[in-house]
Amino acid sequence: MYPSLNSNKMFFYFILFLSTLISISSNSWLGCWVGLEINLLSFIPLISNTNNMMSSEASLKYFLTQSIASINFLFFILLKLMWMKNFMLNNSISILINSSLLMKMGSTPFHFWFPNIIEGLSWFNSFILMSWQKIAPMILLSYYFYSKFIIIIIIMNSIIGAIGGLNQSSLRKIMAFSSINNLSWMLASLLISENLWIFYFMMYSFLIMILCLLFNSMNLFYINQLFFFNMNYGIKFLFLINFLSLGGLPPFLGFYSKWIIINFLIFNNFPMVCFFLIMMSLIILFFYIRIIYSSFLFNNLNLKWISIKLKNKQLFFYTLSSLISIFGIIFSTFFFM
Amino acid sequence: MWMSSICFIWGVFFFFLSLFMFYWVIYLMMNNIVYFLEWEVISFNSVKIEMGVLFDWMSMLFMMFVFLISSVVILYSKSYMSSELNLNRFIMLVIMFVLSMALLIISPNMISILLGWDGLGLVSYCLVIYYQNIKSFNAGMLTALSNRIGDVLILMSISWMMNYGSWNFYFYLEFMKNDFEMLVIGGLIMAAAMTKSAQIPFSSWLPAAMAAPTPVSALVHSSTLVTAGVYLLIRFNYLFIDSYIINILLLLSGLTMFMAGISANYEFDLKKIIALSTLSQLGLMMSILSMGMGDLAFFHLLTHAMFKALLFMCAGLIIHMFNDIQDIRYMGGISLYLPLTSLCFNIANMALCGIPFLAGFYSKDLILEVVMMSNLNLFVFFLYFISTGLTVFYSFRLSMYLMVGDYNLMSVYNLYEEDYVMLKSMFILLVMSVVSGGMLVWMIFPYPYMIYLSLNMKLMVVYVSLLGGLMGYLVSVMKIYSLNKFIITYKLSSFLGVMWFLPNLSTYGLNYIFLSLGGKMFKNLDMGWIELYSVRGISLILKKNSIFYNFFHMNNFKIYLFSFIMWMVMFLFMLII
Repeated sequence: MYPSLNSNKMFFYFILFLSTLISISSNSWLGCWVGLEINLLSFIPLISNTNNMMSSEASLKYFLTQSIASINFLFFILLKLMWMKNFMLNNSISILINSSLLMKMGSTPFHFWFPNIIEGLSWFNSFILMSWQKIAPMILLSYYFYSKFIIIIIIMNSIIGAIGGLNQSSLRKIMAFSSINNLSWMLASLLISENLWIFYFMMYSFLIMILCLLFNSMNLFYINQLFFFNMNYGIKFLFLINFLSLGGLPPFLGFYSKWIIINFLIFNNFPMVCFFLIMMSLIILFFYIRIIYSSFLFNNLNLKWISIKLKNKQLFFYTLSSLISIFGIIFSTFFFM
Repeated sequence: MWMSSICFIWGVFFFFLSLFMFYWVIYLMMNNIVYFLEWEVISFNSVKIEMGVLFDWMSMLFMMFVFLISSVVILYSKSYMSSELNLNRFIMLVIMFVLSMALLIISPNMISILLGWDGLGLVSYCLVIYYQNIKSFNAGMLTALSNRIGDVLILMSISWMMNYGSWNFYFYLEFMKNDFEMLVIGGLIMAAAMTKSAQIPFSSWLPAAMAAPTPVSALVHSSTLVTAGVYLLIRFNYLFIDSYIINILLLLSGLTMFMAGISANYEFDLKKIIALSTLSQLGLMMSILSMGMGDLAFFHLLTHAMFKALLFMCAGLIIHMFNDIQDIRYMGGISLYLPLTSLCFNIANMALCGIPFLAGFYSKDLILEVVMMSNLNLFVFFLYFISTGLTVFYSFRLSMYLMVGDYNLMSVYNLYEEDYVMLKSMFILLVMSVVSGGMLVWMIFPYPYMIYLSLNMKLMVVYVSLLGGLMGYLVSVMKIYSLNKFIITYKLSSFLGVMWFLPNLSTYGLNYIFLSLGGKMFKNLDMGWIELYSVRGISLILKKNSIFYNFFHMNNFKIYLFSFIMWMVMFLFMLII
């Protein structure tokens, strides 16, 4: 679970985090582009693993997609500079810049690389890809976007995330499609304000962090592994809670962020977007429940010779996080006294 | 062994409770006192939910009779249910029944009445299905659902009463009498009482409930449960004086009385005959009540409780002797073998017919004479008197079938009175069915009714009774070829013999509509287009689309990148053009 404490890797992690900060805090488009490029180049060595062919394939795919997106981004920011100077007008240029950024974050019409690549990554890298790697493109998107275009993208994201994940048996692909669905929520929060986006993004990162750590610590990659594993009932319960929370079932923490976004969407007159987001998150919730429900209730084999042992320290961490995930809404009310 | 059995303990306990109640009746009557205790459970926005307890002579007297009958019945069960494994459960059910009846009797509050009322319905269901066969399940379901209608009506009247701020109807009866809402409440209460007392649209459950064990019938279906409706209406009696809705009750209860009297003559099941006679007497109580004479109804309720419980207990003993056969055509000549039982049976029957100076005489004769004194139309008048004749008719027929003639069951058989447990408990009621009429008429009427009639009118009761007795005798000695003549009037007989088709009406008549409608709904909606357009349809669409979508992921990575470039180029051209 914990990334190996290889000094090279630590270096690249450092650059990865720093480059995102460069990208989001620069005051020119070129600086943003530079940050994105550094980010891409630092993530490649983190992905690639000489022992695993899948990961090198993934690193190559990642490089190709991101670099093509970056080229287009560079091209269009230069074009924009030439034609429009520093005016921000909503026209096709904004759509083009937005498209390249959407490609980078793996949003819908250009999302095909995303489940493809994530299939070759470890759980930790998947977590990085699903959370941290989205920061820079999204912040850049928030600077300059064409809202009608983004609304269409939001609706497509929510539909594709729900439909695509329905038929998957790989947990990483399921998480990838759920990430696409959650991207629609994040884009919807970007429409309203950046603070809302930060709120949603932090909640989402927290929830998928727990899940990714849990999957990683048990080496779970496919649904059928959940049935065979000789898992403690409590650990299954952790899965259930966190999946329900991620799906946004009301008493849990995941509902909180979605609730706030629904609230703001309705205040800002986006009822149709809101409708699609809610309906599709129902489908998402359905396949989350389907993952855990069958292993929880119907179909669990107990193999004697494979048993999962978690270290006490890990278990403490997971249960604490899950506790926050369960009672987060109640805890959060204490902050407003 | 006998002293420590549950029947003995509870029987004696209820007997002493009954004596205690008797003391209170005397005390409250002599001093003309009413005790009213009230506990405010919750007060909510000027609506108070209260548990009220009303101790006046009426509730105490009724409680005394209920406790006496239940003590006797519990003692009787010791012998009647002696081979029952779950005797404790049976006695507990009976005790629960008695307690909910007591709750009903003493509460002047709609909500606490509902508690008692629901308790009666529930426990009577448990008692009717006690033998756990298909017949008793069906009977129990019919009983429970008929009573459930009354529960719902009482609930509705509770919701109507919320405007008054409290559910103590006792205070509002006279005060709110001209209020429209009180009229609605009165109508609902009247209908609820009709379900419990098995008046005409709802009367099919009472004979069906004879599937219960006989002690239960003696307690539940003769004197307590079925009179709960009458008692409730007696409590609401102020409301109904000079009210037009009560005329409906007068008509229906008169018809019930008539219908039950006729059906009893067609019936050959011993318990069902007695049940139908109960129904007839309930009709009598209800009709005199709906003419405004609540005290007479109450009087008849009490005396009737005594002799009807006795009649049921005798019937139970006879059924025991006859190997659990209830058909009176197998019986006959039991006066030679079961003299004491026959004594009790005949006295109870005569009390039912109103033979002078037995219990029924005082109440029935008074009721009929008051009816003759009052301002009535001819139809109701005839209903009363034909029904009185019919009562004597079926009572004599029953007595003749049982007591006179040959023993009809098996050739070698020895009848004997099994033990003294049943007989002793019957003797208590025997005494009561002889003396209770006189005792009560002196006790509860502070001044006598003034009756002033011409000679023929005065003798009217005697005429119809003698005629009924004669017919009862003639019917019972009818030979088989005379009975076959009934085939000529087959349609009429089948109409009159099955309670005017009421059982069919309240079982198939209701079930058929809803079951067929429900079947159609199930077929067309649940299994049809609701399934297609909601649950199954959505999942089908999602599944298809998901499979279709996965097709995109089978493409080459090159094509993804190319499509992105094409998208960009397309927008770029749009930009340039």
